[in-house]
Amino acid sequence: MKYFLFVLLMGVSTVILAVEESHSFANMQQAQLFKELSLELRCPKCQNQNIADSNAVVAKDLRDKVIELVKLNKSKDFIVDYMIDRYGYFVHYKPPVTASTLVLWVVPVLFVLFGFGSVIFRQKKSSTEQKWSVKDEAQLTKLITQYQNNSVQVKQESGQ
Amino acid sequence: MSDENKNNKLMFSVPLIIFFLLCIFLFKGLFSNPRELQTGRLGQEMPAFNLPDLMQENKTWSEKDLLGKVYLINVWGTWCTTCLVELPYLTKLRERGVEIIGLYLEQGYDPDFDSEFNIQALRNEVSHMLDRTGNPYQYNIFDLNRSLAFDLGVSGAPETFLVDSTGVILLHHTGDLNERTWRAKFAPKFTELKEVKL
Repeated sequence: MKYFLFVLLMGVSTVILAVEESHSFANMQQAQLFKELSLELRCPKCQNQNIADSNAVVAKDLRDKVIELVKLNKSKDFIVDYMIDRYGYFVHYKPPVTASTLVLWVVPVLFVLFGFGSVIFRQKKSSTEQKWSVKDEAQLTKLITQYQNNSVQVKQESGQ
Repeated sequence: MSDENKNNKLMFSVPLIIFFLLCIFLFKGLFSNPRELQTGRLGQEMPAFNLPDLMQENKTWSEKDLLGKVYLINVWGTWCTTCLVELPYLTKLRERGVEIIGLYLEQGYDPDFDSEFNIQALRNEVSHMLDRTGNPYQYNIFDLNRSLAFDLGVSGAPETFLVDSTGVILLHHTGDLNERTWRAKFAPKFTELKEVKL
């Protein structure tokens, strides 16, 4: 059991993100906003790391800028737009719905719809095909009597 | 029977089509470069700045000094190995009549830790490096706090921008500039703007 649990735990990965710096913000909202933004903004240098996680020079510059703007009481949207103006949509982990990103939203929905659609379509088709008709019933009775007759015949033959 | 056949064909071809679309998508991915980042500033005017010259004391540059000519802004630093490879090619471009303005990106300096910056040591280093590779720059803007670099959406070095005579940023290239990238990306736009053959 112990080993089983150990093996099971090996399959579980844990991610720990630590932000080294501590900053003095005027209030909790500002601190919270900085935390949110530093997790949501993406480092332009190290792919697939947010700016909290990265120690690249540019990530530090982005963090410093976020701190500066948060302390000026700028809203979250303002700060995100400020970064997008400079580093493009790449810098934000939540891409907006535009013509080129629409496919990200549409394809999964289409996929699910197509899947359910085809399951329902197939079920309907097979249920209509297996209708029990009068003709089938007649065929069944015919086969049963035939079988019964046969077995009676076999018994009689073996009895002799 | 033929109806069922048709249905079967459809059920068979849909996954096949999806498979081929996926193939095309993944194949394209093989040749896309995730490091190819585009600044959000494309099509906009140069951000306002007021920064010192790298080599001359008391000389400052602003975005207004750059109006009226087509030029490249090349982001570089002596710490950047790719820049060392790129500099001789940029020097060739200068000889062909391309005006290149350097944006010197200082990476080591952090106002939170270092109190003062030794500009003289940096100047020596820069002269030493440009002596070896040739000097492609009309002049260098010294961006100690990386403020202009930040406003331009620079994530490292080398990076190059093409700016037209009205100060609008037309192209952004991350990574080194060489004959191939120049021909593919910059030359068409540049020729169009300057109306000269390069």
